[in-house]
Amino acid sequence: MQPEPILRIEKLVKRFGQFTALHGVDLDIQEGEFLTIVGPSGSGKSTLIRLLVGIEEPTSGHISLRGKRIETLPANHRPTCMVFQSLALFPHRSVGENIEFPLKIRGDAVGPRRERALALMDLLHLPQDFYDKRINQCSGGERQRVALARALAFDPEILFFDEPLSALDFRLRKNLEKELKDLHARTGKTFVYITHSLEEAMLMSDRIAIMREGGFEQIAVADEIYAKPVSRFVAEFMGEVNLFDVESTGGGGLQGSGLEVQMAPDQLLPELRVPQGGHGALMVRPEAVRFLGPGEAADFALDGVMRAEYALGSRTQYKVEAGDGREIAVEKLREDRFAGRSGDPVRLGWDQGHCHMIVEE
Amino acid sequence: MQTGRAARIALYLYGALAIAFLYLPLVSVGFASISKARYLSFPIKRYTTQWYGKALESHTVNDLLWTSLTIAGIVTVVSMVVGFFGALAFARYHWRFRGVFQKLILLPIFFPQAVLGLALLMWFNFVGWIPDWKSAVVAHLVWISPIATLVIAIRAYSFDPALEEAARDLGASTWTILREVTGPLLMPGVVSAGLFAFLLSWGNFPLSLFTTGADSTLPEWLYAKMVSGYSPLVPTVGILSIATSLVLLIIAYGISRLLRSGRDRRQQADG
Repeated sequence: MQPEPILRIEKLVKRFGQFTALHGVDLDIQEGEFLTIVGPSGSGKSTLIRLLVGIEEPTSGHISLRGKRIETLPANHRPTCMVFQSLALFPHRSVGENIEFPLKIRGDAVGPRRERALALMDLLHLPQDFYDKRINQCSGGERQRVALARALAFDPEILFFDEPLSALDFRLRKNLEKELKDLHARTGKTFVYITHSLEEAMLMSDRIAIMREGGFEQIAVADEIYAKPVSRFVAEFMGEVNLFDVESTGGGGLQGSGLEVQMAPDQLLPELRVPQGGHGALMVRPEAVRFLGPGEAADFALDGVMRAEYALGSRTQYKVEAGDGREIAVEKLREDRFAGRSGDPVRLGWDQGHCHMIVEE
Repeated sequence: MQTGRAARIALYLYGALAIAFLYLPLVSVGFASISKARYLSFPIKRYTTQWYGKALESHTVNDLLWTSLTIAGIVTVVSMVVGFFGALAFARYHWRFRGVFQKLILLPIFFPQAVLGLALLMWFNFVGWIPDWKSAVVAHLVWISPIATLVIAIRAYSFDPALEEAARDLGASTWTILREVTGPLLMPGVVSAGLFAFLLSWGNFPLSLFTTGADSTLPEWLYAKMVSGYSPLVPTVGILSIATSLVLLIIAYGISRLLRSGRDRRQQADG
């Protein structure tokens, strides 16, 4: 049985004039969880987080924190806190004064305030002599840490993040993603993180919620979302994917998009079955597709011509043109790269254990 | 290389001419105030400081200085307060009639001051207010407080709204946000607006002419004496007027530096 969630969202709606940004979303967030909300621009994720921290008021619906309704509470009366996209550090205050701000507002004495700020600076690997440094003298990564320390000084029940790493360079972002994950483990706090970066979501989160047009498309752990998306949108949003429109030909048979498979009914995995006459999108990720050698077999196979090769660092991606003109993506580790050249005929194959069927109405 | 040097010389010459164009009239007023002769002519035959002595002893000049200072002082303070909140309404917050407000607040700046002065004089007569220095304060405010609002609004436009949201999110009330975040961040704009307001009011002639009634300000007196009764006391009072505004600007700058360092010290002590 699931424990009582720390935050429950029920039928939350937000309208701006004629435009509906959120269409009655429901979500339970468990205590200590790292939940990431991912979605394309305009999907409503920033609106949702602004409602959750109390900067905006919902049009209708409920938000409950530990069972108490908070949707009408203003932001300064909620025990939650947010790290803003712009970080929103006060430029007229030093690093130490920024971190101490929530403690000052709370009326804490000078000594304990400073002590807490220095402890948080230590936790976030900020040197102690940064205490008197001006914000405009700090680098992007240092500012990021100051914003985090300030939010932690507030000691929130839930810490929200609105794409705080989006403005940083790749290397720094990668480091901070790992640090955030470590920080979550060390503090045990509930983190709700918003991003449009799939990699960020995959690296840090316990669960991922995919948003689309003001609603949740799928909420699940990262592996499940990646391997078993509920829709084409989620499948494509979670990275490069090959989707084949197929229909059942009865028993263990599937046909369409250049594929034709006829297996014994008990051989085809149950999760790949489509009702008789029904349609589905057979999904296989590029890393699960193999180049088949002569005499090599696979559950699914098709012939094509090598068209392009893209080096992705540790991996290489290939584009293969299938017989019906569609492009199939294949990804291999650098050491397993394809030996041929562009224009060579190739045979691709994959096993049903690496496939997922998105059944369509 | 030769071309470069020629261009540099031309540039220096241009700069020197521009500075001469701007400051020679002021310098000549200075010379007029220390010339023994009634009217300025070069070369000056005899120098004197007697006009400064006379000006400082003159009750009339002291009254003029006091009236001008009072008007400019009140206009400065009120403009800073009105401009601060006006700028928030103008640039920071979204509200229903913001567009109308933005246009209305700009209008007085574009009115010719003489027309504005005449309109205000007619209005004061209509409401039965006999014009004096207090009505001049109102007149100056009608023209200067929109300018102060604009000066502070420029600062407010560069203000990231997320700063106030973050402060609220961290537990601050509306008043605390104003005191701890909005106020300090807009303060450079408020100080600039105050300086502008003082200088515009101190040197204002057209509005004062229509609205001071029996009272008189320094620019009005200078004009009146130029029209009739000129003596070297006129340029002397002009120089004293410039000196006063310079001294006040230096004092204001010193106060703002003191306030800033005091705030820093307080914050360090708090910290």
